[in-house]
Amino acid sequence: MGWILLFSGMAGTGTACAETDVGPSQASASQAAETPSAETPSAETRSAESRSSENRNCLRCHQMATLAYRNPENGEIVDLAIAPQALSHSVHGELACSDCHDSDFGQYPHPERLKGETLACVGCHEEHDDAAERVYRFKTIDEEFKHSIHVTSDAPEVAGFSCHSCHDPHAFRNSEIGEEIAQIVRQDNGICLSCHAEIQDPLRDPHTWLPKPEKHREAVRCLDCHTPLSEDGQAVSHRILAGKDSNRDCVKCHSKAPQLLNRLYQYRSETDLANKGWISKAVFNEAYVVGMSRSPLIDRSALAIIAITLLGLGAHGYGRYRAYRRSKENRT
Amino acid sequence: MSALYLYSGWVRTWHWINALLFLVLIFSGASMHFNGAGWLLDFQSAILIHNTAGILLTIGWIGFIVGNLVSDNGRHYRVRLHGFVQRLMTQSIYYGYGIFKNAPHPFHPSAEAKLNTLQQVTYIGVMYVLMPLLILSGWAFLFSVYLPETLLGIGSVWVVAMLHLSIAYFLVLFLLIHLYIITTGETVMTNMRAMLTGWHRDDHQEPEA
Repeated sequence: MGWILLFSGMAGTGTACAETDVGPSQASASQAAETPSAETPSAETRSAESRSSENRNCLRCHQMATLAYRNPENGEIVDLAIAPQALSHSVHGELACSDCHDSDFGQYPHPERLKGETLACVGCHEEHDDAAERVYRFKTIDEEFKHSIHVTSDAPEVAGFSCHSCHDPHAFRNSEIGEEIAQIVRQDNGICLSCHAEIQDPLRDPHTWLPKPEKHREAVRCLDCHTPLSEDGQAVSHRILAGKDSNRDCVKCHSKAPQLLNRLYQYRSETDLANKGWISKAVFNEAYVVGMSRSPLIDRSALAIIAITLLGLGAHGYGRYRAYRRSKENRT
Repeated sequence: MSALYLYSGWVRTWHWINALLFLVLIFSGASMHFNGAGWLLDFQSAILIHNTAGILLTIGWIGFIVGNLVSDNGRHYRVRLHGFVQRLMTQSIYYGYGIFKNAPHPFHPSAEAKLNTLQQVTYIGVMYVLMPLLILSGWAFLFSVYLPETLLGIGSVWVVAMLHLSIAYFLVLFLLIHLYIITTGETVMTNMRAMLTGWHRDDHQEPEA
């Protein structure tokens, strides 16, 4: 099959829906079951120079923003463009293309047999020596993902959903403590919104029940409500919940619930602190969540005690006034 | 009539700054805590004001403690154990009973002891127990990332929040009682005037009000 250059102005976005906008590896990943590609030499065994020369070769074509083809089976446009800047800043920026992709891709035209190449994150990542020490265990992610609504749903839109549907391996990087919270939230939510367009339509948005929806969208990640609390120490679960199973309980964040509150508050605190330093943090503390200090028991008892005290003081004052009148009368 | 210089300049300055900060902190704190109620400050301003006032309160508190260490004001907070219970009872009985019978004040301030035993116990509790806890929990709120994830099996942010909240309520309670009790001097304004001018006037042996 010959590849066609489409000059439609379509640029490879950082993250995109598998169905509509799929990069080279996404395209293949959505076609078959995931298996790790392990036969390629590891990144460490190669010199930086040979890696970059190899990547330059690949990017000669793949950096063209309009490199794409139309899948003859379903008529969809498959985006093959890679933004070199995004790639070099991504978590995979240090890798050579052939660390993940078959080295025979070096031939052009690419051999026909490579068309069905499949790549998976879990296999490759679990092979790393430091896999057990990572905050995110890919085995756990895989387990959680299997129960995600993106896998269990019968909806045709999620057919072939894979890691790459949300995480573009050529652009993905973890948000880091110190980045602006609003920016992280925007980026994170951008992943969801690239498919869930209905959320941006006021008539179809299922979040209209939420007080101050805009504020929430700016300050909270979709994931904060749409994933269960993970019990394995990983900050966010990859088990994305269906809308109906997601958190609709305000007090889970705006009150006691320690894990959810901690998750939100601590994360925001760390970012805040790294971003602005001690003094600024102390003055501006952006992490405070409305209601986090509320406790109906303490509030009610304290307000009741205060009210009783005020009544007591009022009565005491009245008693003193009576005594004062009496002493005045006695004097006269 | 006698007049005693009981409250030195630094004590009065600290006291009124502290009083102002208390009011600001209570109002801005309530604005954060009960955010959404109409008569409160908006959320962002409340955070800024509360945190700034909190930092100033911390500095003020350290100033108070240091002042007590280096000046002779600290002696008023050293409890004399001899006859402690008796003095406490006498003062309590006066407030609970004698005051309605126009009984004479059981305590007369002097340069050596300006606080009656009940005041002394209250102020020690407030300044040496509640205030440090309030200040520590306030700062712990801001820098909770350095705390363990859980304290006693409960999320540490929540523990800190509840501690801060409870102490804040205690101090509101203290403030109300304090505001009332200062009217129980020789006249309604005796004690207030003393804290404004530094001079305590003891011109009546019998309470007027």
